[in-house]
Amino acid sequence: MALRELKVCLLGDTGVGKSSIVWRFVEDSFDPNINPTIGASFMTKTVQYQNELHKFLIWDTAGQERFRALAPMYYRGSAAAIIVYDITKEETFSTLKNWVKELRQHGPPNIVVAIAGNKCDLIDVREVLERDAKDYADSIHAIFVETSAKNAININELFIEISRRIPSTDANPPCGGKGFKLRRQPSEPKRSCC
Amino acid sequence: MALRGLAGSGPSSRGPLEEAVAPAEERETPAMVAAGAAREDDDEDDGRGRGLLRWDGFSAWLHCVCVVGFDLELGQAVEVIYPQHSKLTDKEKTNICYLSFPDSNSGCLGDTQFCFRFRQSSGRRVSLHCLLDQFDKDLPVYLKKDPAYFYGYVYFRQIRDKSLKRGYFQKSLVLISKLPYIHFFHTVLKQIAPEYFEKSEPYLEAACNDVDRWPAPVPGKTLYLPITGVVMKVRIPTCHDKPGTTQIAQLTQQADTHISVILPTVHEVDLFRCFCPVFFHSQMLWELVLLGEPLVVMAPSPSESSETVLALVNCISPLKYFSDFRPYFTIHDSEFKEYTTRTQAPPSVILGVTNPFFAKTLQHWPHIIRIGDLKPAGEIPKQVKVKKLKNLKTLDSKPGVYTSYKPYLSRDDEIIKQLQKGVQQKRPSEAQSVILRRYFLELTQSFIIPLERYVASLMPLQKSISPWKSPPQLRQFIPEEFMKTLEKAGPQLTSRIKGDWIGLYRHFLKSPNFDGWFKTRRKEMTQKLEALHLEALCEEDLLLWTQKHTEVETVDLVLKLKNKLLQADREHLPVKPDTVGKLRTHIDAIISALPEDLQGILLKTGMT
Repeated sequence: MALRELKVCLLGDTGVGKSSIVWRFVEDSFDPNINPTIGASFMTKTVQYQNELHKFLIWDTAGQERFRALAPMYYRGSAAAIIVYDITKEETFSTLKNWVKELRQHGPPNIVVAIAGNKCDLIDVREVLERDAKDYADSIHAIFVETSAKNAININELFIEISRRIPSTDANPPCGGKGFKLRRQPSEPKRSCC
Repeated sequence: MALRGLAGSGPSSRGPLEEAVAPAEERETPAMVAAGAAREDDDEDDGRGRGLLRWDGFSAWLHCVCVVGFDLELGQAVEVIYPQHSKLTDKEKTNICYLSFPDSNSGCLGDTQFCFRFRQSSGRRVSLHCLLDQFDKDLPVYLKKDPAYFYGYVYFRQIRDKSLKRGYFQKSLVLISKLPYIHFFHTVLKQIAPEYFEKSEPYLEAACNDVDRWPAPVPGKTLYLPITGVVMKVRIPTCHDKPGTTQIAQLTQQADTHISVILPTVHEVDLFRCFCPVFFHSQMLWELVLLGEPLVVMAPSPSESSETVLALVNCISPLKYFSDFRPYFTIHDSEFKEYTTRTQAPPSVILGVTNPFFAKTLQHWPHIIRIGDLKPAGEIPKQVKVKKLKNLKTLDSKPGVYTSYKPYLSRDDEIIKQLQKGVQQKRPSEAQSVILRRYFLELTQSFIIPLERYVASLMPLQKSISPWKSPPQLRQFIPEEFMKTLEKAGPQLTSRIKGDWIGLYRHFLKSPNFDGWFKTRRKEMTQKLEALHLEALCEEDLLLWTQKHTEVETVDLVLKLKNKLLQADREHLPVKPDTVGKLRTHIDAIISALPEDLQGILLKTGMT
């Protein structure tokens, strides 16, 4: 079975949960008191997709402004970028749009963009409507999914969808691409008491 | 059974130690598939998971990172040290300052990379990481850390900048490390330095954080070292590797250097490119390095001086060059006086210099290599003759080797023809380097095998090891006795090169390289004897022995055995895996047969 290394970077405002998403995906665990990332942290995870093994080389970048200028090193050569916003903070969605612009201008030409609206467990304090985010994602042909790193919602699905969208090394790419709708979570997500 | 031949037939074969560690292959199996699988590789753990403190991961690779700039009033100055708590003495800082900039005369517009080596200040606490010591024992001797020295790996940028008072931007990013992984750190700097000059502090912080999360530099494993968006894959050689082989497996076809970079070597330099300017004298230079002769390389810039010095030190591999060497040495160096004094004979060191002042200061040195700009695998210089020292003028001397040394061995013209042909056929420099490296390796091995064989014969017979006596001593090394073995089992068995091999050996036996090599061998063999002695003790019925002896003698035995165990642990004696456990069981059995009051005391002493 062929092993492919796929560089993936996570971008987005500080505190939206980029590291938590990676931690959930790689370790299947969640720590509410995670420290802010310095520069970027790196993790890997190998998954099987059809007849290939995809080794994700995940660069989880720091959201803090002082590390803003370092981003190109992480999206350079990336097969996919996951841009994360916090559904409870409108301004993180604006930051996301800036990331999309930057990737358009300076990112690799065929980069798969995935938009993750994290903290979907905090539906009570939602500020970004799912419909709006979905429309925006469709308009730029990006993957869209609302996630909760805390409750493990849609995290694996997010990466599976990235695997699907990444051009196969074979001549015949599997179907997929635009318009794919991810498996929805139950309409009433589990609440966590606070 | 006789133990002769224990040290094997070649420098690579370390007999007794061989079973200790087999190179662990990358644990990458298709077993971990599908989402939800656990993270596949502990080695990519961020360090804290192994209970390490912050910066422990970093200090396994680097002592610190320095930024050296030019201050109009102060001159060169260390602007930044990272991590901030790293300790450098003032003397060390001064050395780093001067060694991190090219001499003003060498121009060096643009980016320049080079390396230097400097002596650790005396009185500094030797911080030997216990964890790393363990790795050190599996390293080939020429890659072991030298506790008294640091390496500095430099990326220097000098560009015109009218906005600055001086008219130039001049800055060096310097990695300070104990590890002699020249090629590796060269690659790391190439990756991080250009970006650092654009993005400054946060970038350095991010890069150092990446290093802090690296797995420890364990020899023999494929290591994944992520840094600033790229994963570097390296393998540090072990002493059990066959010399002249590289063993890094490429599992994926990955050509994009923005994703990952595979390093075929951590320490080797491009031998051919370095030897090219003095290519006809390669074999003579090998002799000079082997014999630890004082050598100076005068080069137009520190990148050429450092590469050439390192190539020289490298060319006698797998032998270790035991004397001091300075890939880049300046007149400000704290050892300047010590090394250039005329009151005594030039020391056994190799210096790389660029300042023309040295042409005068080191005029009295017996061997001087002068090189011009290193051309990328270009032409080979036409002239063949060694130049007379008196023709070495201060400034305008031509490239070449200036010496009155007469080589012991006659020159192997075949290798020269082979490399010349390669140049005509435009063979890539890397391929030429492989040929040259193999040639040096065969030459060194032919030279060292008879010594290995003789030294192995100094090992006492197994039957002379008695559990009830101290381990037997190694026999003495007697030069004449060794010379006699050369008639039948000399280098003529493995080398076509003719000449005065005996003369070369006689000279070598007086050199620091022999001294260092023999001390290492003697230590290994003594430890092997200790280990065999321990095993012999293990096989005895110790309980039966104690029944026939007095209590005092029994107590004495227990204390001795406990000491032995401590030694085995401390010195990593090459004992069979179950020996230590067996001996512990013996000790416990003896103790429990003693009166209770004694038991209490003995159990507490010399806990292992």
